[in-house]
Amino acid sequence: MKNSSYFILFILLIWSCENKPSLQNYFVKNSESSNFVTVDVPNTIINTSKTKMSLTDKAALQSFEKMNILTYQTDLSKIENYEKEVAEVKTLLKDKTYQELMKIGSGASQAAVFFVGEEQNIDEFVFFASKKENGFAVVRVLGNNMNPTHVMNILQLVQKSEFDAKQLEPLRELLGNNSN
Amino acid sequence: MKKILKKALLMTLFVGSLGFAQSSFDKFEDKEDVTTVIVNKKMFEMMGKVKVETKDAETQQYLNLLKKLDNLKVFTTSNNKMANEMKNTVSSYLKANPLEELMRVNNEGKNVKIYVKSGANENMVKELLMFIEGANIKEASTVILSLTGNFSLDEISMLTDKMKLPGADDLKKASKK
Repeated sequence: MKNSSYFILFILLIWSCENKPSLQNYFVKNSESSNFVTVDVPNTIINTSKTKMSLTDKAALQSFEKMNILTYQTDLSKIENYEKEVAEVKTLLKDKTYQELMKIGSGASQAAVFFVGEEQNIDEFVFFASKKENGFAVVRVLGNNMNPTHVMNILQLVQKSEFDAKQLEPLRELLGNNSN
Repeated sequence: MKKILKKALLMTLFVGSLGFAQSSFDKFEDKEDVTTVIVNKKMFEMMGKVKVETKDAETQQYLNLLKKLDNLKVFTTSNNKMANEMKNTVSSYLKANPLEELMRVNNEGKNVKIYVKSGANENMVKELLMFIEGANIKEASTVILSLTGNFSLDEISMLTDKMKLPGADDLKKASKK
């Protein structure tokens, strides 16, 4: 009896590790497939060597680790694929770890911002934007103990520093289309 | 029996978490012809917590206001069918949750109605609902704007101004009354 209950526990454990769908798994799963582009952007994208940084700026930058970006380009002949993928991402984001901050959109195109963690101790920001004709993008901003003030400071740093935009090249097409 | 109870409990939890005041408008989300803007309490809390070293009184005032807000929802449409549905939803919502009519403007085919639920004193507002028809803002003709929190009307016209929300002018008039 005892043995079997351990066994069940063990199975459950494995099952919960392997099968728990997460945004992380979704990124990994699709990094190799066509129509998808994934980019990892390290925090060195904000080149601060030429800018003077205050202590608060440094702290802000240290809290930011990297960005994971995933984009999907719509294949107009297979629009159902787009719908399937968007539905999958939306389901993943419905998990209560992702707290929605705001959302803008209509039926065909939308953008939303989520965060993971606590207000003063944010582990991750997730941006999700989609437009039927173009595709969608998920951006995960990962860090350690980020807080709202840090975010503001980082945004200011990005403006001041030389932003190495080349690393974002794969996104340009999608973003360019979206701004139309 | 147990199942039903469980379901009922889940439903209450669900509805409760949506914020009881606005759940009736949530059906307009994700509709093809409706443009939605939703800002949640967490967002306002976070923005309010940003430490800004500013001497600019207006920015400071703005940040102070953000702390007092709970949820902002804006739904706009130019589709006639949707517009009708919005109108019906607003009127049935007002029947279920009596709000005080703050003002009503009828001007050149534009029809603006603003309702409020007062808070602790006359100046404080817990909920503000604005319904605009014939607005012609960014091709949208019908607008529902719902804002909850604990704020004063004077402050709020500043916010709608800053965020470039529809109906900012009308709200300004309302706060000056």
